[in-house]
Amino acid sequence: MQRTVIKRDGSEERFRTQEIINAIFEIIKGMAVEDDYELVFRIIKELDLKVPERVTTEELDVLVLKAIEHLIPKHPVYDTLATLQLLKLINKRVGRQFSSFSQYLKFNIETGYLKEDLVQFDLKTIEKAIDYDNDRLLDYFGLTTLRDRYLSKDREQEVIEKPQWFFMRVALGIGTTEDEVIAIYNKMSRLEYLHSTPTLFNSGTNVSQYSSCYVNVVDDSLQSITDKLTETAFLAKYAGGVGTDISRVRATGSHIHSLNAKSSGVIPFIKVFDTMVNSIQQGGRRRSSQVISIQPWHYDIETFLELRETTGNAYFRTPSLNTKLWMPDEMMKRIEKDEPVYLFDPGECPELVEAVGDDFSNKYHKRIQQAEAGELKLFKKLSGRDFYKKYLFKLAKTGHPWLTFKDAHNRHNPCPQYGIINSSNLCTEIAIPNNPESTAVCTLASVNLARHINADKTDFNWTQLESTIQIIVRALDNVLDKNYYPSEASKRNTMDLRPLGIGMMGFAEALVQLKIAYDSSQAVEVAQKLGQFFREKAYGTSEQLAKEKGAFPHYEAVRKAGKAYAYPARRNAVLLAIAPTATISIIAGTTSSIDSYFSNLYSRDTLSGKYIVINKRLIEDLEIKGLWNDEIADAIKSNNGSVQTIEALRGKIDVNLYKTTYEVHPKRQIDLAAAFQETVDQAVSKSIYIDEQLRAEMEDIYLYAWKKQLKSTYYCFIDKVIKGEKYTSEVNKRGSRKGFGRQKLATPDSRLKNDSPDGLKTIELEARAKFGDELVDEVKKGNQETCPTDPLLAKLCPSCE
Amino acid sequence: MNAKLIGRTSVRDNIKLSENPSYPVFRELYEKQKKAIWFPEELNIQQDALDYHHLSVEEKDLFDTAVGYFSSSELLVQNVLVNAFFPLLTDPHAKMSFSTQLFMENIHSDFFESVLQSFGMDHAAMYDVAFSDPFLRKKQSLIVEEIDKISYGKIDPETLEGQKQVLRAILLNNIVLEGIFFYSSFAHFFAMKEMGKMKNVASGVELILIDESLHLQNGIEAILIILDESPDIVEDEAFVEEMRSIILKGLQLELDYIRSKFGQRSLLGMSYPELEKYLKYITDRRLVELGFDPEFNIHENPLRFLQKEDVKKLINFFEVSSTEYTNY
Ligand SMILES: [Fe+2]
Ligand SMILES: [Fe+2]
Repeated sequence: MQRTVIKRDGSEERFRTQEIINAIFEIIKGMAVEDDYELVFRIIKELDLKVPERVTTEELDVLVLKAIEHLIPKHPVYDTLATLQLLKLINKRVGRQFSSFSQYLKFNIETGYLKEDLVQFDLKTIEKAIDYDNDRLLDYFGLTTLRDRYLSKDREQEVIEKPQWFFMRVALGIGTTEDEVIAIYNKMSRLEYLHSTPTLFNSGTNVSQYSSCYVNVVDDSLQSITDKLTETAFLAKYAGGVGTDISRVRATGSHIHSLNAKSSGVIPFIKVFDTMVNSIQQGGRRRSSQVISIQPWHYDIETFLELRETTGNAYFRTPSLNTKLWMPDEMMKRIEKDEPVYLFDPGECPELVEAVGDDFSNKYHKRIQQAEAGELKLFKKLSGRDFYKKYLFKLAKTGHPWLTFKDAHNRHNPCPQYGIINSSNLCTEIAIPNNPESTAVCTLASVNLARHINADKTDFNWTQLESTIQIIVRALDNVLDKNYYPSEASKRNTMDLRPLGIGMMGFAEALVQLKIAYDSSQAVEVAQKLGQFFREKAYGTSEQLAKEKGAFPHYEAVRKAGKAYAYPARRNAVLLAIAPTATISIIAGTTSSIDSYFSNLYSRDTLSGKYIVINKRLIEDLEIKGLWNDEIADAIKSNNGSVQTIEALRGKIDVNLYKTTYEVHPKRQIDLAAAFQETVDQAVSKSIYIDEQLRAEMEDIYLYAWKKQLKSTYYCFIDKVIKGEKYTSEVNKRGSRKGFGRQKLATPDSRLKNDSPDGLKTIELEARAKFGDELVDEVKKGNQETCPTDPLLAKLCPSCE
Repeated sequence: MNAKLIGRTSVRDNIKLSENPSYPVFRELYEKQKKAIWFPEELNIQQDALDYHHLSVEEKDLFDTAVGYFSSSELLVQNVLVNAFFPLLTDPHAKMSFSTQLFMENIHSDFFESVLQSFGMDHAAMYDVAFSDPFLRKKQSLIVEEIDKISYGKIDPETLEGQKQVLRAILLNNIVLEGIFFYSSFAHFFAMKEMGKMKNVASGVELILIDESLHLQNGIEAILIILDESPDIVEDEAFVEEMRSIILKGLQLELDYIRSKFGQRSLLGMSYPELEKYLKYITDRRLVELGFDPEFNIHENPLRFLQKEDVKKLINFFEVSSTEYTNY
């Protein structure tokens, strides 16, 4: 096939493979590659199928990238290659527009995109600090995510930021001195920690919205509902996720005094939030999202459980909202003992909303007595177990509502004088006192534990970890004063409490590096130790900051009022929160949050497309032992990414290190979250992954989570049983039946005549794939001078048989 | 003749489910299909509207044609099953399995209908595309004309000839139409998702892929059983050869169609040569599944991005509709 390349200026020339080969060799230069010809050959073979008869140079660039990308599951070297190729494309394009970082800054300040005060720093020093070699730390999935979502773009959607400029732009928007800026830049560009997505999007730009999450509280009045609707709209608009507590709103049938009529309950108002959230796109880069939280004694709870069903009355369905239960201990106890639970109307029993712990139990008992005595207008009595079962069924079916625990949150409230914790945020890691006048806000950053391992991989590098935590505390505290607050209520909360949320990612990867199995008791100990360390160092820095800049204002206020808190002055009311880190862990190229490896080979759907993720640590391990090859890769694939039952690996590697999410018992998942929760002052956001086989144990699992004093459980994933036919590996559906093949096999000259024709056929197919048709045909004819030495071929050789 | 999967039936017969089914595989396939049931409402297709309006002219054409083709083909599959095949099915478990397939085709056509409406596509033109596009028309005619021959009681299932005719119908419907034509168009949707476009629609197609792979199994099982019960069929070499050539003819028509869409350029990161290889790979699989020798000996799916459909999936729920929750 004659192929033509159309160049940028419109001229045409013949497509020449040699030029591509040269270009690939150019990228490989300097990389430690075992067999570079083999590598280039594979890419060219891949590319050859892709190049159409007429192709533009831009298209060709992309096709080369695609060709390399598709080989990534074969070997990590293709990941590196694809990353380098993409880096080349990005840096080349940006380089055409800006010759230096300073030029980029000045230009974009002029256009009004970046903040003017970024140039207050000494730009020469800043420019010198940029280390382009750090580009190489990014992997392909991370870099494409950066390019598609994070790197700044102009109106034509062309990238205008090199990856290192991006890290520096973010650092400039946070630091207050050159030293601080450079320290933040260094840590981030080495992927030792990352700020949360809104900070990465907006830092340094004129949209100074750095916060990830907000938690507001709706009061039981039309005024409050519409106010909070407005607040939520603005919070969502600036790329934050919003949690909204709706427990105070009166139930269906409740009396409305001003109208002398009956209320239609809380559900129609939730529907209004659903419609609004659906209509707002978060800065165009991430869908706006909201979670509605309710205490499950609310009289409307049964309808609430149905909100995420996909069929039924559309007015009672909220496809765009997330939902969650804010569960008091009293109800869990009743469920455990299979005692009845009672539902009440918050309009009639408002005192239940803010009561926590024993206080709640007392008030709840009192209402139960009244109910039984016929003194309440509105109540309902349900079997505790039935209610719980029904709830878990909805959770498994629709993924909602999540289960979070009211009393576990409030037991550790550092500022009870400020108010109770009325609910948590969208991702269930925030625990900050709030109320209808004060909307909780949290600004997050997460440490990448996988990049805090000492050189001989025996332990964490504690000194490095300490310095990272110290830098984060100062960076986040800076952000509080630079942040734009979309509402007065949210500004008030931050200025009173100055809350921070430091979390972590790469826990599972770090464990593999340290050769500790994720589901071992040793892992639980590591979790406890890490949690304590985080707490100690973060609090130490915050106490130091209090001396420099003063304690959080609420702390001072109660001290002056003579009701001081018992703990030493610190700058921030709370400091730790373990977020899911869904996207930033992709940029950092590590496992998310404290989760295990999802699988050793899996795909991820994201806004920028679908990606294959492989466990690089596993491949590294296999490669050192000379075990990594196409057959093993296929075996892992056909085992859905599990290595537990692959015969060829038994005894060769420690397969326990590579258990995938569903292979870790849910109770052990909970143990780990509980270990962190001991010291994390806010919450640990923990999704629970349940193998289909354990589905019957869900009741037990979630009771266990409550008993282990988890504050939150997030998504409940149940391994899906039905998969499609494998698309890329051969499946034998016919078994030993012959189908149309019967007649063929009867003929005497059939070369495949054998006891197990199917087995031989597979061998032949395999051999053809491995050695090519020509050789196999020769072998089968017995035309070879000597019999083949390869065992696969020998099976096909007539004389060997 | 002994009781066979295909035979003359009446409303009085076969209304008992046996605990010891004659064809346990159909009970299994019924269970699998039941667990795979989903509803179009679970996907937020509307969210792809912005994407849709930013597709290039060629991408839009490819997308529209694929949607239009599926819209009418889902109903065609139903027609074939109901008119040609169902009246001859004797086994109650097999009927449950095939009627679940029928139900799933409803879901698919409902899904594509909602795609048509969400993006304001030309409803009538889309349903017509399978016959107005000259290349699609040939594909559709291959199925329709053959099936016409056996519809409305034109054959006698108690004869060898009758069994052959039914076999031909299942082959065309479940193997050529669902197993080759559909698989060709699936790749177009997945390629879009690969480029970060039309992700929610593609999520629906992922579910359809799961369903269709089960339908394919329905077809393969039915064919293998018929062959087993009427050994005389494979003795007729001319007939066997004809079945093989129908599959290859289907492939050729599909290749002509792909050629007409892709021509000399690349689209969505794919070009004709690799799609040709992909379809030959798929065709080989179909041949081997029925016991034929492979025609092309291609053992690797050249569209490597499709392996993303094969492995476990992790989704960020805030970004893309999930296809991983189960209704069962
Ligand atoms: Fe279908
Ligand atoms: Fe189907």
